Amino acid sequence: MSASTETQAPAPARSERSHRHPFTSWREHHGWSAGTSLRRLASKPVGSLLTVAVMGLALALPLAFYLLLSNMQSLGSALGRNQVINVFLKTDQVAGNAQLLAKQIGQHDGVANVSVKSPQQGLDELSKMQGFSDALHALDDNPLPFVLEVQPQDGISADTANRLVEDLRGMQGVDMVQDSGTWRQRLDALLGVGNRVVLILAGLFALAVLLVVGNTVRVDITSRAEEISVLKLIGASRAFVRRPYLYAGIWYGLFSGVLAVALALAIEFALVEPVAKLSQVYEGKLRVAGLPPWLLVAVPVAAAFLGWLGARLVSAWQLRKAA
Amino acid sequence: MIRFDQVSKRYEGGHEALSQLTFEVAKGEMAFVTGHSGAGKSTLLKLLALIERPSHGHVTLDGQNLAKIGRSGIPKLRRSLGMVFQDHRLLMDRTVFANVELPLVIGGIAPLERGRRVRAALEKVGLLDYERQLPASLSTGEQQRVGIARAIVAKPSVLIADEPTGNLDPQLAFEIMSLFAEFQQVGTTVLVASHDLPLIKRVKKRVVVLDHGRLVADVAAEEVL
Repeated sequence: MSASTETQAPAPARSERSHRHPFTSWREHHGWSAGTSLRRLASKPVGSLLTVAVMGLALALPLAFYLLLSNMQSLGSALGRNQVINVFLKTDQVAGNAQLLAKQIGQHDGVANVSVKSPQQGLDELSKMQGFSDALHALDDNPLPFVLEVQPQDGISADTANRLVEDLRGMQGVDMVQDSGTWRQRLDALLGVGNRVVLILAGLFALAVLLVVGNTVRVDITSRAEEISVLKLIGASRAFVRRPYLYAGIWYGLFSGVLAVALALAIEFALVEPVAKLSQVYEGKLRVAGLPPWLLVAVPVAAAFLGWLGARLVSAWQLRKAA
Repeated sequence: MIRFDQVSKRYEGGHEALSQLTFEVAKGEMAFVTGHSGAGKSTLLKLLALIERPSHGHVTLDGQNLAKIGRSGIPKLRRSLGMVFQDHRLLMDRTVFANVELPLVIGGIAPLERGRRVRAALEKVGLLDYERQLPASLSTGEQQRVGIARAIVAKPSVLIADEPTGNLDPQLAFEIMSLFAEFQQVGTTVLVASHDLPLIKRVKKRVVVLDHGRLVADVAAEEVL
């Protein structure tokens, strides 16, 4: 042990710091805090992984529901393409009237196509059905009316569909309108409830993430009380002491967000095969509704923000207590 | 310069740790504060580091009245002090280098300069080869030297030490005190609280004696027997 030239001119560190640009010091402090917090997480891998896994699963659940709903909507749209509104004309309507009505209906909003089914075509279809053939032979003449098969456009809203049906019912020469689309309205209503459930779940699980990060940081601060005390004694500001915990919150959030997205993509991947089979039934019109690209980025970013917020709330309180 | 002017400290519960204490330590001087257990040595150092505030009187450091330093100013004051503790207060999960580096990180010193100064401080306390080791792998004396390196690395104008040789054998204790004396010789003000009278006599520096919080003797270095 010996004194050297290093001690020849003792001077407060503060004066040397002032030669540097404040932003440089600020950036280095942040880099140091981010690195320190990452090393702390890595120093207890099991605990860190469990925390990230719990948070990741919590965030993945709303994403899974979101995927489920998106695919139900997609399925609904695909089924909607096969939805036909049958317009039964009065029996006194002749072919010319039927063609005229078909032309009028074809110009209506939300209508993709109108086809005319004559009484004879109707009778032929019925006669092919088991059990009807004998009964139809007993008839003296054909009692069936002209039927217009109205195909609505893809993605038509429930309101437009309802308006179309009402307009069809009000047309002259129309006896009855058979709308098979009520199930679609029910599905839309159910999807509306589902969307709300997803929002509520997302809120609740975001709160869970906040609490998990908060509690993890609280335990971390409690177990590092001695270190915090030393840091304060050697001149660390409250912000300096707090920063590694804020970064820990950000890391927990970010990693759990990435895990949640990975899980959601795995679910999406698992849906591809069954949906492909289902799609064959609907002439290949059905596709897996995946997560939009913006959500793949937004979830980790939002989770990192939640982690930071949880850490900030708890560290402010916990460090004040430790002071 | 350190100045205590009519300083009293009464803790909650009524215990008076210091009473009407007045003395000063000149810039670049080294002084011991001694006395029996409970004499007020540690309290005196705590007032200097603003860990405690006086109930009465003023503590002045380099002309600055510490009473005027608010809560937000405390970190800045502590960065201008070097503190050595009896129990070292090292971070056991960080290497010797990382422990010594901490005041420089806090002070915003550039990484390259940090490395240079940490190694210089470790060389001074004879631990340059230990920089990658964890404190737990070092002896008590070596841990204390790491604590000293951490205290001096930011080149403080004042070095305060609270029973820095409490756990050390006499020879190692003397080496540590000699190291403090070397810092004093290059202009650092050094204030050491110790109850180890044989050691104090051996080092031959000024001695301030406290008893029940009162100053009972102030012995100049040349008068120490």
